[in-house]
Amino acid sequence: MKTPRTTIRRKLVTAMMLTSTTVLLLVGAVFIAHDVVSFRRLLVQALVTRANILAANSTAALAFRNPEDAGQILAALKTDPRMIAAALYDKEGRLFATYPASIPPGVVPPASGPIGHRFEKSDLVVSQPVAEEGQSLGTLYLKSDLQELDDRVRVDAMVVLLAVLGSIVVAFAFSTWLQRRIAKPILTLAIVARNVSEHKDYSLRAKGAGDDEVGVLAGAFDEMLSEIQQRDREIRQLNADLERRVDARTAELEAANKELEAFSYSVSHDLRAPLRHIDGFVELLAKHAGPSLDEKGRRHLATISTAAKRMGALIDDLLVFSRMGRTEMRKTSVDLAALTQEVVQELKADAGNRSVEWKLGTLPTVQGDPSMLRLVLVNLLANALKYSGPKKAARIEVEAQSQNGELIVSVRDNGVGFDPTYSHKLFGVFQRLHASDEFEGTGIGLANVRRIVSRHGGRTWADGTINEGATFYFSLPK
Amino acid sequence: MPVLVRRIAILALLLILIQARPSVAGTKLTHEYDLKAAFMFHFAQFVEWPQGALPEKTTPFTIGILGEDPFGKSLDEIVANEAVDGHKLLVRRFQNVNQVDSCQILFISPSEKSRMDQILTHLNRRSILTVGDTKDFALRSGIIGFVISDKRLRLAVNLAAANAAGLTISSKLLRQSQIVGPARVQE
Repeated sequence: MKTPRTTIRRKLVTAMMLTSTTVLLLVGAVFIAHDVVSFRRLLVQALVTRANILAANSTAALAFRNPEDAGQILAALKTDPRMIAAALYDKEGRLFATYPASIPPGVVPPASGPIGHRFEKSDLVVSQPVAEEGQSLGTLYLKSDLQELDDRVRVDAMVVLLAVLGSIVVAFAFSTWLQRRIAKPILTLAIVARNVSEHKDYSLRAKGAGDDEVGVLAGAFDEMLSEIQQRDREIRQLNADLERRVDARTAELEAANKELEAFSYSVSHDLRAPLRHIDGFVELLAKHAGPSLDEKGRRHLATISTAAKRMGALIDDLLVFSRMGRTEMRKTSVDLAALTQEVVQELKADAGNRSVEWKLGTLPTVQGDPSMLRLVLVNLLANALKYSGPKKAARIEVEAQSQNGELIVSVRDNGVGFDPTYSHKLFGVFQRLHASDEFEGTGIGLANVRRIVSRHGGRTWADGTINEGATFYFSLPK
Repeated sequence: MPVLVRRIAILALLLILIQARPSVAGTKLTHEYDLKAAFMFHFAQFVEWPQGALPEKTTPFTIGILGEDPFGKSLDEIVANEAVDGHKLLVRRFQNVNQVDSCQILFISPSEKSRMDQILTHLNRRSILTVGDTKDFALRSGIIGFVISDKRLRLAVNLAAANAAGLTISSKLLRQSQIVGPARVQE
């Protein structure tokens, strides 16, 4: 089990911090927005009130055309540094008096504008009518800067920032404490799970994970562990039983097999003596009474002799086969290439004047019993030569290749082949796919091959198609 | 025509004044009496007449001119369609002080200069705001006098006379005026 890349602790703390910071920032933003709006309203109110007072005071100055007095009234504004400019317009909208008394053009409009208030860039502007007893006398214009608002926003931002910072610290402390309570049982569970998977120790338990969902999880985990532990124990027991039983069976089988082999060996051995008698006496009979017998009698004697000889060959082969299972294997290095070459030379002599093309691939050196492996090659190559007999131009290939950690040797011929439906029968004792009068042989060669190869720890199998040749394979472990 | 000569002289003076000082107010004193007419109208807003001076709503608020009318059309134009405290404004011209009956503001023309004391005595204790532009008009118990001071049209107010007439003059107006009369020594 890998160590997780991000821990649940960090995730928990991050989630809590993110939530609280976001909420705080949102609240702060709303607070500032609300404060700015209400403070703007307050500023407008204050300026309108001031404008109303000034307007009420300057009615007579407007009515009686006293710009000096109007100027003096407006000059009272100088106590307030926020006031940028003020102006009085007469009834016709013409500029009448200003504050400050001398003012660069453009600071106040040259003629009175619409009544009301508005925010201009960084200023707040108010225009109020000047009237006495309902008689309109002119307009008052006041322009105040928004320094106060800026200061207010700055202070608000500072307060919010401090609150957020403070809250982050508190939230961090809280979330660290909280995550410890939440994460600890999970971490305990994770450690137990890791130990279980690493050491395959199913006796561990994640006890005391609390009374929440994690506790339930830990409980379920513990239950599963108990279950696994139980099963593990049962499986081990079953395995042990099974092994014991297999051992017993194997021993029984081996004993039976040995018995059978001993039996077949002694049977074969014992059968040979009477058969020799038959053969010998048939020969004597042929010598002694041969000339006096007619043609038919002589033919019968010949048939008996042939049959006895054939039976002798069968018994000999059976003895060899039986010996193959019993003799001790002497494993040494065997050069397959040299061995094959040797066998081919022998077979070439038997082949007489047949046209046979031998094709030998690269063959390695293997570990095995040389005489046994020689028998394997003799059997396979002799079969190939035999079953390619009917072909005018016979071709026999021997190849070896490594596959999945074993060496696979194949012997391919272009002979009569066989019906692949019966390929499983090929390697049985006395199993023949062709009539013995067609191809001579006892039917024990491939059985020997299988026995030898399997004693070497390998496998045997074959491919074939009728009249298109056959390929015989055997594998040897490396 | 001495009046005309003086008018022309004042006009010339004012024109010079305008050209010499393009005041902040930017008011063009096109005509001295236009300004005075406007002031006369505004007195209606800054002076309080006693209860009973205008008993009925239908009674017009009357601005009277005693003697020769120096305003021409300007006063009529200013007053046209205006009202004071719900009373329609009306301009009336009187030749003789005995004709003056219902009147709230009365301008005593310079043409009456010689009879000024008699006129003022006649109007004494009546709730009429007497206005004039003759020399020391307010000092001679007129209530509001037009004064040219510092090359500007200013007001002189005789508070004692106003009190005697039962009129209350707004402090805002007083702020624009010189207070003259028995309580103080004036020029």
